[in-house]
Amino acid sequence: MNDTAHTAIGTRINIRDLSFFYGDTQALKNVSVPLYDRKVTAFIGPSGCGKSTLLRVVNRIYELYPNQRATGEVIFDGKNILDSSMDPNLLRARIGMVFQKPTPFPMTIYDNIAYGIKLFERLPRSELDTRVEHALKRAALWNEVKDKLRDSGLSLSGGQQQRLCIARSVATKPEVILLDEPCSALDPISTAKIEELIDELANEYTIVIVTHNMQQASRVSDYTAFMFLGELIEFGTTEKLFTSPVNRRTEDYITGRFG
Amino acid sequence: MNHMLYRRRRIRNRFFLALSIAASLFGLGWLALILGTLVSQGAGGMGTALFTLMTPPPGSNGGLANAILGSAVMSAIAVIVGTPIGILAGTWLAEYGRHTPFAFVVRFVNDILLSAPSILVGLFVYEIFVLQMGHFSAIAGAAALAVLVVPIVVRTTENMLLLVPNTLREAAIALGTPRSMVIRIVTWRAARAGMITGILLAIARISGETAPLLFTALNNQFWSTNLNAPMASLPAVIFQFAMSPYEDWHRLAWAGALLITIAVLSLSVIARVLESRGARP
Repeated sequence: MNDTAHTAIGTRINIRDLSFFYGDTQALKNVSVPLYDRKVTAFIGPSGCGKSTLLRVVNRIYELYPNQRATGEVIFDGKNILDSSMDPNLLRARIGMVFQKPTPFPMTIYDNIAYGIKLFERLPRSELDTRVEHALKRAALWNEVKDKLRDSGLSLSGGQQQRLCIARSVATKPEVILLDEPCSALDPISTAKIEELIDELANEYTIVIVTHNMQQASRVSDYTAFMFLGELIEFGTTEKLFTSPVNRRTEDYITGRFG
Repeated sequence: MNHMLYRRRRIRNRFFLALSIAASLFGLGWLALILGTLVSQGAGGMGTALFTLMTPPPGSNGGLANAILGSAVMSAIAVIVGTPIGILAGTWLAEYGRHTPFAFVVRFVNDILLSAPSILVGLFVYEIFVLQMGHFSAIAGAAALAVLVVPIVVRTTENMLLLVPNTLREAAIALGTPRSMVIRIVTWRAARAGMITGILLAIARISGETAPLLFTALNNQFWSTNLNAPMASLPAVIFQFAMSPYEDWHRLAWAGALLITIAVLSLSVIARVLESRGARP
């Protein structure tokens, strides 16, 4: 098989024929979808359609749990990340993830960011400071926390905590960022800030976002994939999918007739 | 009609509330009585002599210095030996083993050990330790206490680690952290207050244990720091003195009992404070 074919220009990750099983239950059925370089791809669909599962395959975090397995190919940089020869820790350093609930570590704001950097790099103090500052600025959080970097990360508000988690992800300089319903626990103002941030980050990173919120998908993404019962129903540019969907079920879902 | 129904329910509610309060007061009453007796009987024996003089023969002046030292030394060794084993085993159960059959067995055995009568632990150490060495010793006493420490620490460590949300582990792993580092840097840190509470509770538990020491460290009426020789301990001295017919020994036993109670009580209070601090978001 010719690997370069999967990584044609513009495609950062190519998911091909991906199936996923929780024990005997199949959660993904032969899903094939490209994730384009430095674009935002949104996955929408009703609860249980497999969109979060798909995200959890891309950085292989599903492996933490017994009885979960994936078949098919997820081609990243010419290699199938599902191969056992791929080191999951190095993979995860290149593919960051932000979760639904903010998950600051029980340490200071500074250490929350420095933690990820120190995992893979030995930097002098001053350079580490610069990297932390840069990451916090990138996540539009610097102005709010610059005077209390030594406070606990848990002392921040929910929206700030989520931006801290994004900053933590960005700090390790990943190539891809996976966002698993990053705004579902946040108020509208924090949500707006995070959406702005996603827009910003898309200049540098390939972003994949799973969301329940169709308006959010239409606002932040370049491409949208609609999933239903473990199958990819439709994939296309966000504009096309939301204005003239091809599939009947896509249309029903985005017009609110079910889901 | 409805009104009647409500009134009957309210009366029943009051009746059961009164019963619950009475039950609580009944339980607390005995505790208050024990504490009151301890303070009134033990306070008289308190004083500097208690901490500086050795356990006396009947009829002469003395204190509990050797017993206090013995209890401190043996408890310290037991905690130093038992805590790391308990924390590592508890961590394995919560982080690696979880649903494996072996973890199930370990958990089951640990629960049995947790509720095993301490005198059995004393006999066990007597069998495998004291008989082999040919004599009673402080180190055997510490070993018996360590056997009591392990299951408590295993249990609390596992429980506290299970309280750490999985999302936090996932977040650390998603950054590319190896499993061992996730545990050291994230989950242990998140569960720290609870784990320390478990250790304090273990100390509180062993500082009052008499039975396992009777077969292992025995007792010693002199100041001894030799771990290879019998050593005094507060519970053993209380046992010996309280059983005796001598009035002055009784006074020392009461003082010793009060001392242990104060120590255990303060440990429990510290544990509670730590726990509530750790639970704060």
